[in-house]
Amino acid sequence: MQRNQYVGVGLKSAALLFCFLGAHFPAHAQSRPQNASAGNAQKGKDAFATHMCATCHGPEGQGAVGPALAPPPRALPDFTRYVRQPAGKMPPFTPQAVSDTDLADIYAFLQSANPAPPSNLSSLTGNAQNGGRIYVADGCYQCHGRVGQGSQSTAAPRIGPPALTIDAFARYIHAPTGNMPPYTNKVVSDQDVADIYAFLKSLPPAPAAKDIPLLNQ
Amino acid sequence: MVRKSKKGSPKASIDRRAFLKSAAVGAAALAANPTTSRAQQIEARNAPPPPLPAEAEIGTPAKLDVLTETRSGSDFMVDVIKSLGIEYVCSNPGSSFRGLHESVINYGGNKNPEFITCCHEESSAAMAHGYAKIEGKPLAILAHGTVGLQHASMAIYNAWCDRVPIYIIVGNILDATKRIGAVEWSHSVQDAAVMVRDYVKWDDTPASLPHFAESAVRAYKIAMTPPTLPVLLVADAELQENPIPDNLAVHIPKLGQFTPPEGDSAAIAEAARMLVNAQNPVLLADRLGRTPAGMKNLVDLAEALQAPVISRPGRMNFPSRHPLNQTDRANALIREADVILGLEMSDFWGNVNSFRDQMRRTSETLIKPGTKLISINSDDLYTKSNYQDFDRFPEVDLAIAADGETTLPALTEAVKRLLTDDKRRAGEARGAQLAKVHQQTLARDREAAAVAWDASPISTARLCAELWNQIKDRDWSLVSTTPFISNWPQRLWNMDKHYHYIGTQGGYGIGYGAPSAVGAALANRKYGRLSVNIQCDGDLMYAPGVLWTAAHHQIPLLSVMHNNRGYHQEVMQVQIMADRRNRGIDRATIGTTITTPNIEYAKLAQSMGMYGEGPITDPKDLGPALKRALEVVNRGEPAVVDVLTQPR
Repeated sequence: MQRNQYVGVGLKSAALLFCFLGAHFPAHAQSRPQNASAGNAQKGKDAFATHMCATCHGPEGQGAVGPALAPPPRALPDFTRYVRQPAGKMPPFTPQAVSDTDLADIYAFLQSANPAPPSNLSSLTGNAQNGGRIYVADGCYQCHGRVGQGSQSTAAPRIGPPALTIDAFARYIHAPTGNMPPYTNKVVSDQDVADIYAFLKSLPPAPAAKDIPLLNQ
Repeated sequence: MVRKSKKGSPKASIDRRAFLKSAAVGAAALAANPTTSRAQQIEARNAPPPPLPAEAEIGTPAKLDVLTETRSGSDFMVDVIKSLGIEYVCSNPGSSFRGLHESVINYGGNKNPEFITCCHEESSAAMAHGYAKIEGKPLAILAHGTVGLQHASMAIYNAWCDRVPIYIIVGNILDATKRIGAVEWSHSVQDAAVMVRDYVKWDDTPASLPHFAESAVRAYKIAMTPPTLPVLLVADAELQENPIPDNLAVHIPKLGQFTPPEGDSAAIAEAARMLVNAQNPVLLADRLGRTPAGMKNLVDLAEALQAPVISRPGRMNFPSRHPLNQTDRANALIREADVILGLEMSDFWGNVNSFRDQMRRTSETLIKPGTKLISINSDDLYTKSNYQDFDRFPEVDLAIAADGETTLPALTEAVKRLLTDDKRRAGEARGAQLAKVHQQTLARDREAAAVAWDASPISTARLCAELWNQIKDRDWSLVSTTPFISNWPQRLWNMDKHYHYIGTQGGYGIGYGAPSAVGAALANRKYGRLSVNIQCDGDLMYAPGVLWTAAHHQIPLLSVMHNNRGYHQEVMQVQIMADRRNRGIDRATIGTTITTPNIEYAKLAQSMGMYGEGPITDPKDLGPALKRALEVVNRGEPAVVDVLTQPR
């Protein structure tokens, strides 16, 4: 009869708002982001140290207290957005604290620090309809909501559409660094991941809050 | 019948049970006969008492048999209860307190206290829990000392964990020679309170009416002194039912004024020094808002310091749209903080550490080296051992054992005395930055609410936005918890009154939601407040009879079902285990969902005599449905709108 109110531990532990799918960079992400950075890797290495990123993420972005960032699991725009407004326990860095140029340089450094091995996931064609079915059958919606909207109750971030690259997405599913339960290849195959990813990509964009009167009162 | 002494001489007092006892003698004789079969014995136990001999009913008694009384012990008990200002007694009727029941409704005029009929003792206790969170004082519950208290125990535990006062009175027949038959023997106990002694603050078994009066007043004072907690009194049936002896002096002790414990002045001065000298002070509050003063006092402190406030869901601690409310940025703020003040924290450790629930459970600190922790917590004044609701030991630098909201004014004054112009300017700059971030957070929350706006099942964000649209111009009170719905009310609504939110269950025992909402609505009724309850489906099914209580007593309450058709928390728990064991999760719904058949909550409500509508599946239909239900609630009645929702 007595129940844990939240997955794993009580949400009264603020620390739970951390490390669910997509909330954080995976610890062993080894995929190449889909965009290339125009930044300067050497300057980025210096900036990475100067701004004390290395304190949590290790001097080569290999991960320490915080997750590994090399190679970066997100495209540069998402990477920048996350640094400005982190969803987990990372403190936010304003443009005054770390400029966009610095972030592009850091991104280039992280790309060069640990090049990603080749992956066959990006070669798979995802079936969005089947992905929607698997998304429900495998219980993704239990924490992330039916359209991947995420939930503060479950500490699951929004994943529709996914911010991660498909490789980072797959690696997090298989070996999450936070509280999300691991879905191994036996349970969710590469094709399943590709289908789920396609489903999440296929979701229509959310309406803007400013266009919804009920959200402006 | 006149009670006999050992020598058979008449005794002046009335023995309420002797009459029935003699009537049951036939059955007792049957049971005592060793040659009687077990089946016969059982039959005899269950049979009604045999009729009295004809002469006993129509004949003239040999001696005068006093059969009525004019003033009984339970009348005096009601006088005592009235003296404490207790407005209601919530109860499922039971024979072990029939005397008290009758005194409440007749002698006491069924007013202050009024008898509220409950269908389950767990509902009685949880109603008391919800009521106290609004009213700031306990109502009483009456229950059997055995089977009733057993039913009530989980709800009492919730109140214990939530530091909420409940005034429990249980009936019992201590004197074994006064018990009739199997029922009364089964409903009697040597030590009624032992079952819940680990989670009540104080209990007593009075042996006389003066003893009852003294213990009743003492119990109230103990319950209401922070940490406020449940208390229990055993009202012996003999004391209740027998007349007040003519020569017995009964007196109701004076309750008098009593003040909550305030923190030590030297410790307050030290806390103020630490906070004023901090670069990044953070105020964390959980069960702080015990009364309306809690929120006001925290606003005063936060504004004096221009410090961010993180309000945990234990109480309504801080206005949701105050620019210093930074609850959504809790982790980032805690990591940056150099001084953190924890106010009535249920789990301070859990707020400054993270925990990972994988095969190997790990934790890590969130705070940086050198960060100082200050605690003001009435829990430090009273702790028990067995149940582990005290949470992990926090390594606090300065612990002030005192009531939080009572101590805050002195702390705020001490802070103001220490503020130099430089400190004040630094605070203003910090406050301006926090105000900007607050607006960004609100905008981000609204964007997040828009994501599944048109989804079906209906998103919890849409549900809360539609509800807010209906109530925002009223004097309203949210009488349910919010962590199961992603805390959308705190993120989307303008909440700035003590009664705008009543906090969580305390012990996370499910079945709390519906009855606590009805109890809180009962408290809100006299103020004309609109009570709204976002009701989880699994929770309601523990004891849905409380809907009948709301209808019967005309307690206005709008309940909007958060119907995700499952014990959703447990779906995820089983999912975690299945994933860990690599077995797939397609069977995780077994034992955790409430489908096949789906429960029709609108019909359930209708069957209890109240308005019910739904299930609503299309978000476009929700607003009009809520409006229709509110028209019913405006007439002073309860209503239920069933909404098929997303999980969280």
